[in-house]
Amino acid sequence: MSQLDILLVLLRVAVGAFVPLCFIAVLVWLERRGAAFFQDRAGPNRANIFGFRAAGLVQNAADGIKLIFKEDVIPGHSAHKFYFVLAPLIVFFCALVSFAVVPFADTLVLEGKQYIMQGIPMDLGILWFLAITGFAVYGIILAGWSSHNKYGVLGALRASAQVISYEIPMGLALVSLLVVYGTINLNEIVHFQGKLLFGFIPMWGVVLQPLAAVIFIVSAFAETNRTPFDLAEGESELVAGFHVEYSAMKFALFFMGEYVAMFVSSSIIITLFFGGYQIPWLSTETLVAYAKPVSMLLMGLVPVAAALFCGWMMKNNKSHYDRPNDPRVREAKVYRIIIWMMVVVVEAVLVGYLLYAAGGAADRILVVLLQIVTFLVKTFMMCFVYVWVRWTLPRFRYDQLQLLGWKMLLPLALLNIFITSAVVVALS
Amino acid sequence: MTKKNIRKGALDIMFAEWLFFGLAGLSVLGAIGLILFRHPMNGAMSFVVTLISLAGLYALLSAKLLFAVQLIVYAGAIMSLIIFIIMFLNIQEHDLPDEEGKGLFLLGGAVVITPIALFLYKIVKSLPGSDTKIIGNGFGDVREVGLILFKNWLLPFEIVSILLLVALVGAVVLAGKKGVGK
Repeated sequence: MSQLDILLVLLRVAVGAFVPLCFIAVLVWLERRGAAFFQDRAGPNRANIFGFRAAGLVQNAADGIKLIFKEDVIPGHSAHKFYFVLAPLIVFFCALVSFAVVPFADTLVLEGKQYIMQGIPMDLGILWFLAITGFAVYGIILAGWSSHNKYGVLGALRASAQVISYEIPMGLALVSLLVVYGTINLNEIVHFQGKLLFGFIPMWGVVLQPLAAVIFIVSAFAETNRTPFDLAEGESELVAGFHVEYSAMKFALFFMGEYVAMFVSSSIIITLFFGGYQIPWLSTETLVAYAKPVSMLLMGLVPVAAALFCGWMMKNNKSHYDRPNDPRVREAKVYRIIIWMMVVVVEAVLVGYLLYAAGGAADRILVVLLQIVTFLVKTFMMCFVYVWVRWTLPRFRYDQLQLLGWKMLLPLALLNIFITSAVVVALS
Repeated sequence: MTKKNIRKGALDIMFAEWLFFGLAGLSVLGAIGLILFRHPMNGAMSFVVTLISLAGLYALLSAKLLFAVQLIVYAGAIMSLIIFIIMFLNIQEHDLPDEEGKGLFLLGGAVVITPIALFLYKIVKSLPGSDTKIIGNGFGDVREVGLILFKNWLLPFEIVSILLLVALVGAVVLAGKKGVGK
């Protein structure tokens, strides 16, 4: 292996592991601020380090420190302490590993070699995701069962029955999707969605398979145990469900596992239905061919975006009553300096690229970076949909949940398979 | 350069061999755990270990689809249902029947099994040794397996699927409530 190979392996593994981990903090923040937004209040905005609140992100650090220093209780009445410790690890690890096959950029071609831009470069694609999410059930069952607590067992029963039932419509929705795409490889699926329908609509999965998209998204919500499907931990009935006996970092692992699972299923939804890392109407080849104009456009857009953002921030980030020497204004001024410094760095890199490196390998690297950013933005938007639904819809009743899964989604998914296959056969 | 490539290939094969030994050992350990653990949950979990290591062995034989199916169907779906049932019934060790005369049974079993084991040992020893290499040409890929399945083996495939459907309907009929809707 050349040095380039090793560097790229490290890079891909780093992105595959650190992006979901970083998104935990982002998503916890998004959840709290989103909830506050939907309920017309401010959300966590007081925790600070020397007056810097980072829009509430510091609250996460405070929570993390709190959880680390809490007492780690293992209930004395539990006869199976090994499984009690193992369960949160399984949940977290499965959530993290299932991201490994999601492509976050198009295949990078450097010095005649192809580098597949995903955590583990294999072409099992969606099958790997199905396999690994299936394992997460073990964590839930073992947690509830080894807690030896009736709320825990009830929560685990509900959660696992729900996850197992909703895997079926999810798998069937995938079948009709795979009939359309003709491949299980996620990178090829994204390529397929780069094509244009009637010459102007991107052939995204949601356009070709709207029913499958609805079924898949609903099932994905149920798989991640989030509202309106969060019967498993319905606070008013079960205290906290399967993780009622967990404390400190073991609880944190469940908590973080839930957010990683939410990130991963958002990224899978994006990849299957919303064009993955593709920028609409701009395929990888187009981007590489027009790398120079694109980078010039970026040079123009980045300062404009920064100016707009700074203006919004300076307008809103101040105390709502008279304070001498308002610390919030001071905070915003520091942020403004940081943002403009970042803009200068981006501009310098782009200028350097245009002057010295344009045409050649640097074009491809630029395109990969652009696609990673697109992928993250899309995934972030899908995560926002998760938060949006959670704070808009009330919880189902448990029998309604199972009825929806078995009597609505399952027949619809089967019908969709028949229609899709008929259309595909008729068109080919 | 060719020399380097050969060395690299040898390294790969050695790595694959170590993986094989590790996975094979794990699967045997899991199987032993399945029959020796008294608590059903321990048994089921060690069986999960066996199934996952078997999936790893399939992957070493470049049977990608089989690897995925093993993980999804056996390790993912079937075993999670079994563990679900074990949790549901919450069987503890004192619920299990006493096994009296265990030693006698073990002895009898050993006497019966020994000739078979010797026979198997002889078979395994007489197998010719050969080097493994990656076959390529999409062997074991979803597309290839699908083509073979739906071209050469279509009828058996459909018969098996009808058999499964019959079993499913039977299970629903057996488990359904009696006298409802009459």
